[in-house]
Amino acid sequence: MNADVHALTGAYVLDAVSTDERQVFERHLTDCDACRQEVAELRETATRLGAAVASPPPPRLKDSVMAQIRVTRQLPPEAPVVPLRRPRSPWALRLSAAAAVVLLVVSGVLGVLLVQARQSDGTGADAQAAAIADILRSGDAQVVNQGDASTGRMTALMSKSANRMLLLTGDMPNAPSGKDYQAWTIGEEATKSAGLIQPQGGKAALEVAGIDAAQQVGITLEPEGGSDQPTQQPIMTFEVT
Amino acid sequence: MGERVRRVREEPGAGPDTAELMRHVARGDESAFERLYDVLIAPIYGAIRRVVRDPAQSEEVAQEVMVELWRTAARYSPERGSVMTFAMTLAHRRAVDRVRSAQAAADREEHVGRREAARPFDEVAEQVTARFEQEQVRRCLGTLTELQRESVVLAYYGGRTYKEVGELLDTPLGTIKTRLRDGLIRLRDCLGVA
Repeated sequence: MNADVHALTGAYVLDAVSTDERQVFERHLTDCDACRQEVAELRETATRLGAAVASPPPPRLKDSVMAQIRVTRQLPPEAPVVPLRRPRSPWALRLSAAAAVVLLVVSGVLGVLLVQARQSDGTGADAQAAAIADILRSGDAQVVNQGDASTGRMTALMSKSANRMLLLTGDMPNAPSGKDYQAWTIGEEATKSAGLIQPQGGKAALEVAGIDAAQQVGITLEPEGGSDQPTQQPIMTFEVT
Repeated sequence: MGERVRRVREEPGAGPDTAELMRHVARGDESAFERLYDVLIAPIYGAIRRVVRDPAQSEEVAQEVMVELWRTAARYSPERGSVMTFAMTLAHRRAVDRVRSAQAAADREEHVGRREAARPFDEVAEQVTARFEQEQVRRCLGTLTELQRESVVLAYYGGRTYKEVGELLDTPLGTIKTRLRDGLIRLRDCLGVA
């Protein structure tokens, strides 16, 4: 899936991707300098496409906009609008190392999958480690394993009080061509997409937030890029308990 | 001609220094914002209009985008690209979000019939810079393969996902993804985007 993510640059810049794919790609961007450079250049290119169809709006729009900004408070300069790549500060490294130690200790008890997933390609590794630490601190952490060699094995680390679940795998086969794994929170009221799982070298991790309204978290195979609602029966499910 | 094109190329936002204007806007300077509005609005509105089509909804989206620029001006940083690119990126995404919401799709069909008859703004003369821009973009689109061009146009101006583009062009998704990227790269080189 790695080469595929990279090939998505064009579609991403043209806003021709689904919301889930946008998130996956933006996660990928934080760890890929070359991709960010390419995105910046292609964005400028796309801007030229936009500017080429310039057309003045009715003059009343200006009055309307000016009236609205007069009653709109401006945001302060801090905190970037879009999450930018955080520089790898010693602090981040320390956090990472500390989290890795926790994982090693935990993995002795819980199995080796966590550590494998922790190593997956560095994408959001810090965030992942933070999520793991958060769940482990909660006091009601649970670990559930599902799947077999044919479907791939997944481990869910969850905490109801932390209201999140982490799905981890170390040996997930790539989704068949034209398909993606998609996770869902399945509740009485609604089934919601929790994002795509795109294993790289078998490894993948996905944080599922907001499990409080869910009875289960399920994984289905959906057409590439994911669906709004599941179109298949789950290949595996985790009970939220 | 060569010289003039080059000048336009270097400054797609031609005219006032938009980054400087943004700095003033960030401090709450309404007259700077008004000048920024004058520079940005035709490209922004034109692009939104191409995707959204319905004039009333296009105005709404354009207003959202301009107010968002005002709101977030302090968070703009020139290292992340020109003000025009910053604004256009926001505008295109908002336009696409608008057309992808089911309600908007319904509204669009409802409105399109009665508004199609009169299209008052299409006849308005475009600015000189816009005309240069248009000629250049048209010429560069001509250097793409047919599949690249169709894919890029459907995705950008049509607001289609690459999956929809694949269906419309009856082409595998992997091919569409590649063509979108190749097409944009070829455009980039032709337009001289550094």
